[in-house]
Amino acid sequence: MPRVVLAPALARWIAPAGGTVGERVVEVDGADLATVLDQVFARFPNLRGYVLDERGAIRHHLTLFVDGVALRDKAAFDLAVRRELHVMQALSGG
Amino acid sequence: MSDLLLVSTRKGLFAVRKRGAGWAIGEPHFLGDNVTLALVDPRDGAWYAALNLGHFGVKLRRSVDAGATWQEIAVPTYGPDDTVATGDGKPAQPATLNLLWSLETGGTDAPGRLWAGTIPGGLFRSDDRGDSWQLVRALWDRPERGRWFGGGYDAPGIHSICVDPRDARVLRIAISCGGVWTTRDGGDNWTNTSRGMYAEFMPPEGRFDPDIQDPHRMVQCAGAPDALWVQHHNGVFRSIDGAREWTEVVDVPPSKFGFAVAVHPLDPNTAWLVPAIKDERRVPVDAQLVVARTRDGGRSFAVLRNGLPQQHAYDLVYRHGLDIDASGNRLAFGSTTGGLWLSDDQGDNWQTLSTSLPPIYAVRFG
Repeated sequence: MPRVVLAPALARWIAPAGGTVGERVVEVDGADLATVLDQVFARFPNLRGYVLDERGAIRHHLTLFVDGVALRDKAAFDLAVRRELHVMQALSGG
Repeated sequence: MSDLLLVSTRKGLFAVRKRGAGWAIGEPHFLGDNVTLALVDPRDGAWYAALNLGHFGVKLRRSVDAGATWQEIAVPTYGPDDTVATGDGKPAQPATLNLLWSLETGGTDAPGRLWAGTIPGGLFRSDDRGDSWQLVRALWDRPERGRWFGGGYDAPGIHSICVDPRDARVLRIAISCGGVWTTRDGGDNWTNTSRGMYAEFMPPEGRFDPDIQDPHRMVQCAGAPDALWVQHHNGVFRSIDGAREWTEVVDVPPSKFGFAVAVHPLDPNTAWLVPAIKDERRVPVDAQLVVARTRDGGRSFAVLRNGLPQQHAYDLVYRHGLDIDASGNRLAFGSTTGGLWLSDDQGDNWQTLSTSLPPIYAVRFG
């Protein structure tokens, strides 16, 4: 079960009202990027529109690390995820 | 007069309320987030706020308790086959929501109806207070859309939506850069209604092309809805026949360039502009912030400056940064420098509500 690390700027949108905002780590089933993301969205439905645009593409200003390596091809939804997916905001969008 | 003003800024939404003789700026909603517009629905009192979260996209929030709590609601979305081709040579791109650029309520006969104008150029309708949105295909599919282009943004956008108070099926919208368009049947059929406008930025043979005009902002007189005013990229235009014909208003002091315009809700001949040095500089003329007001349909103007900074002022007022309330006496405007001013006497005198807010995109009376 890969760990999914949601950076604070993203975890903020699933924090309970008035709750502390910080990094959020969840464990989900799945062995590829598409499945892992779907599992995250199943648990937090409102995150889908924050991570993906209306076409299902990973948003331009998000950066994903798969097992420690920056995702080069944001369309590579079939990429294997073995240990960890890290979802963070790209500094380019800040 | 309206005692509530919603101020949308780069760092949050501020509700500004009249308190006794003065005004109080409330605690920010969405502190730190980029709020691009806000709206109070006079039919049910709901508040709406559009956020551009940058990394995470464009969002829309609704409050039914005057901002005490907010609910995330749907945003307009484009389909997988929708593309944006522009007339200025940029390659066609997949259409995705870049910005909610205008939001207006429908008529009283359709209580849940909202209209939203977007970059990259789609008009959307909601019949359920923003819980779902439908792209107005009849406008989107017009072949002329392929010749529109962006003004200040990569893609064209709809920044002004005027719902006719006599018949809510009649909409007039303004597009940068795509001219003014009118529907008389609720969006099923559209006509470009930009006749009389010209674009100095085009080569001579294209100056009167209706599909590339750059109206910066269009407003409609509620009490005389055939009267419309446009602050255009290269001047000011006025229509007295429901946008069938536009006539240039010349000799606007101190400059014909600007973004914002307001019209008196009952007197179609009274309007306000916030001029700036054109086009490459976009700051107040002589670093003096002024408002230009006409009471005779644009034949003459008074330059109003009482209470406004008259030196070292580099405030620019964006297209949604000026508003007038339903009484026609109270106006407010906000600037890119975070200045916020209000007048209770049609602009003769201004009081400073702040000079240190975040950059202001939009002000709207509730």
